[in-house]
Amino acid sequence: MSMSLKDKYAIVGVGYTDQGRVPGRTALSFYVEACANAIKDAGLTREDIDGLISYRYFQPALSEREVTPYIIAQYLGLTPRYLGQEGNCARSHLYHALGVLEAGLCHYVVVAYADNALSGNRFFDEINADRAVFGQFGALADYAMAARRAMHTFRTGPETWRQIAVGQRKWANLNPRAYFHDQPLTPEAYYNSNWLVEPFRIPDCCLITDGGRAYVVTSVERARDLKHQPVAIMGIGQHNPSSYIDQAFHMAGPTGAKVAGKTAFETAGITLSDIDAAEIYDCFTYTVEITLQDYGFFGAGEGLDWFRDGTIEPGGRLPVNTSGGQLSEAYFMGLTPLTEAATQLMGRCGDRQLGPKTNTKQPEIILCSDNGGILQTHCCTILRKI
Amino acid sequence: MAYQKPLPRPNADTKPFWDGCKSHQLRFQKCQNCHHVRWPPSIICPLCYSHNTEWIVASGKGKIYTFAVYHQAFHQAFENELPYVTAIIELEEGPHLLSNIVGCNPEEIECDMAVEVMWEDINEEFSIPKFKPVGEQRVLTQFAQRPNSGRR
Repeated sequence: MSMSLKDKYAIVGVGYTDQGRVPGRTALSFYVEACANAIKDAGLTREDIDGLISYRYFQPALSEREVTPYIIAQYLGLTPRYLGQEGNCARSHLYHALGVLEAGLCHYVVVAYADNALSGNRFFDEINADRAVFGQFGALADYAMAARRAMHTFRTGPETWRQIAVGQRKWANLNPRAYFHDQPLTPEAYYNSNWLVEPFRIPDCCLITDGGRAYVVTSVERARDLKHQPVAIMGIGQHNPSSYIDQAFHMAGPTGAKVAGKTAFETAGITLSDIDAAEIYDCFTYTVEITLQDYGFFGAGEGLDWFRDGTIEPGGRLPVNTSGGQLSEAYFMGLTPLTEAATQLMGRCGDRQLGPKTNTKQPEIILCSDNGGILQTHCCTILRKI
Repeated sequence: MAYQKPLPRPNADTKPFWDGCKSHQLRFQKCQNCHHVRWPPSIICPLCYSHNTEWIVASGKGKIYTFAVYHQAFHQAFENELPYVTAIIELEEGPHLLSNIVGCNPEEIECDMAVEVMWEDINEEFSIPKFKPVGEQRVLTQFAQRPNSGRR
């Protein structure tokens, strides 16, 4: 395919902020700091940045303004040629960035997500009146329903999900940024923790995080002149089953991961066996299982055996969520997986670095996923060193 | 005590449904072109785009497609009901409807279990459709003591 996006664009910088529980800061402050750090990390200046895309959906805390990309641009001294004002779906942000780069409208695009929900103590999700009537609140119960249907449809349940929660926690224990860096999770502790909305216990659920994360994307050609080893977007695919869970038939698979994954692998021209590690969007443990299952790593219900004996842990044969992921490191939408994959491929991950340090394969190719709504939208991105 | 839970907020699309609930009828739109029974309500059929629609009354019988058991309340009014169960009901006519499973122990609930509608009359304006396992005879105290239980 002559129009292929394979290896044309690259992530060239990643921006971090303080993260975890960080009281006394506005959401805007995290956005601004994350973006500035990503720009500096890439070795660029604000004059170089001509595209900015950020998340926009959550209600701000009472004393704060809604964080629009306009405001972020103002606080960063940017006057971009493209601003993603409508961006309430983080899944689409890299798509948008590639679109404006491919069209020649922009050369360097920053993508960002930040929040202060943990200290801000606001409800994380929207409240839908017609669902609140029945006491249905937030994504947690909706995903619990999806997981329950999967328990009914194929062989899964807490025994499978426990291995995901425990495995990811071992990575978090190697990551000083991770919320649970100092707290191990044993299988016993998993089973002893309280139900929130059954079949999910506390360790099945992602964190709520204060902090921000950003990355810069540009052409591979431009990337070669910058500071870091470029991390190319080798393949990408998106699929949107769209239906809300109340009417969905895809909750036990195939989810959007199936078509999105197939598209990304076809673009990259590789197969599952070429993947060295995976950074999988993990709003809940079950999301990790159904995503890997739909990508084809195992058949329906075979995850129970596939995860056994530390498959995804340090030293395992397919490391998954090597920062601790959203379950154990921090929640930054699809930027948690994507930025971790990029920094792993750049070789900047310290104690958790894939390779000899963690008794895993030196990574050349990392598979990333992003998922949104209640399994309504999915993006699969394959990154590699170039 | 006054009803503390969030009330339905009918809009132009959902008003006929909530009006039906008031007379203990579960109403859904049926496409007169392709016969698809749809939920939520919409101006056209999502399958064939026909405007030609009629509201039908569903039997109130169905199966539990999936469910969730709340062990933590996210709203004060539900604290006293923990653990409570929300579920997606697959109705005989096809639509999937979010509701509650009542009248049984949460531990007895399974996917694909047969259920039927029962009505909670919360005030003069609204009745809420909830579901119980078929054949469940027990009457919950909350329903026995409803303020307008003698209305119909």
